[in-house]
Amino acid sequence: MTALAAIGTYVPPDRVPIESLADEFELTPMQLRVFRRYHKLGSAAQAPDLSLTELLGLAVADLRLTTEQTARIRYVLYARTFPGVAPYPFNPLHEVCRTFGLQHATAFAVGHHACASGLLAVDLAGRLLASADPSALALVLTGEKAFTGEARFVPETSMFGEGAAACLVSAAGPRDRQLSYVADLRGEFDGELEEVAGEFQRIYHDALGAAVTSAVERAGLTLSDIALILPHNVNVVAWQRVCKRIGYPLDQVLLDHVADYGHVFCADAFLNHRTAVQRSLLRPGDHYVIAAAGAGRGATFSAMVFTH
Amino acid sequence: MSDTTTIDPDLRQQVVDTICELLPRVLKREVTGASETTTLMDDLGMSSTTGLELVLELEDKLEREISVEDMGRDNFETVGSLADYVAGNLLPEE
Repeated sequence: MTALAAIGTYVPPDRVPIESLADEFELTPMQLRVFRRYHKLGSAAQAPDLSLTELLGLAVADLRLTTEQTARIRYVLYARTFPGVAPYPFNPLHEVCRTFGLQHATAFAVGHHACASGLLAVDLAGRLLASADPSALALVLTGEKAFTGEARFVPETSMFGEGAAACLVSAAGPRDRQLSYVADLRGEFDGELEEVAGEFQRIYHDALGAAVTSAVERAGLTLSDIALILPHNVNVVAWQRVCKRIGYPLDQVLLDHVADYGHVFCADAFLNHRTAVQRSLLRPGDHYVIAAAGAGRGATFSAMVFTH
Repeated sequence: MSDTTTIDPDLRQQVVDTICELLPRVLKREVTGASETTTLMDDLGMSSTTGLELVLELEDKLEREISVEDMGRDNFETVGSLADYVAGNLLPEE
């Protein structure tokens, strides 16, 4: 059973307030009030002096991999929200592999589930490892640069933050074992934002809620068995509405970083996992859900259940 | 959320009137003939964020804070359903 063996993270110290986006995105003072008051978006983490390679590298460094662990890493998967993250011929994934002595590993990017690609990568890593040497490991990297307008702000929804996470995955292990995975792919949202936004907003809370409840059911559990949800940091009001739909307590969704980090692309789940462990919000044996939704040329609603 | 049967009808009507008055400002266009049966999303094309802007504008206009903890998408169905929610969820004046 796929397990998360270790998680390394990096969140830069600099922050940009949501008000800094006002001119570029023509946000009115009232819209900014809505973001702060209801969405609870306040600032986003930013690393102006770090390249994407450096950002990802700091998360890998946080894992403090031993030489023996490094040698066992068979796959490196870079899960990302956007298909392109660096101008050709730069390849941050391969640069990170070179820096950390991982050239022996098969390295590739995982995407097209937008901000839910991190869950896809963990599941895929587990499936690849299931047919590999039992001692083999996979490394899942997440985190992107908020280079462009689209990579800084999602209209009416969220602001992206910079940070990174590195998750070491094993085919089996004693902790953070994956019980189930559900990904609901919605190809009907493959269109221009303004054409699909209304319908996407209409189904968002039901679809994300359904992914969570399906994953919990598939794990043989009920929502009352779930100690915590580790969400994507899209905004607070979205999770309020998902929780209302499925009847899950909002105070058991770890939303603390929304106002501070912003939505750190596919890294949210792992950054929130680190916080949950640091604050002892997960006890041994607790079941928890990691959930994320992503949009952009299609939409994906995903959830994964683990036992800590 | 308060039971709608206990909502002060005068207060509810005041909220309906205020919503109709605020619609052009929030939607940034002319809105004619709005009433409590007007659907906010289908008839007026209101987005979820614009709906929240409307709630903030209502707070300013009514000079009262509105509890949004129980607010869901269903409450934004029509002008009347939003008025039901708002009239039933005004926080006590300090």
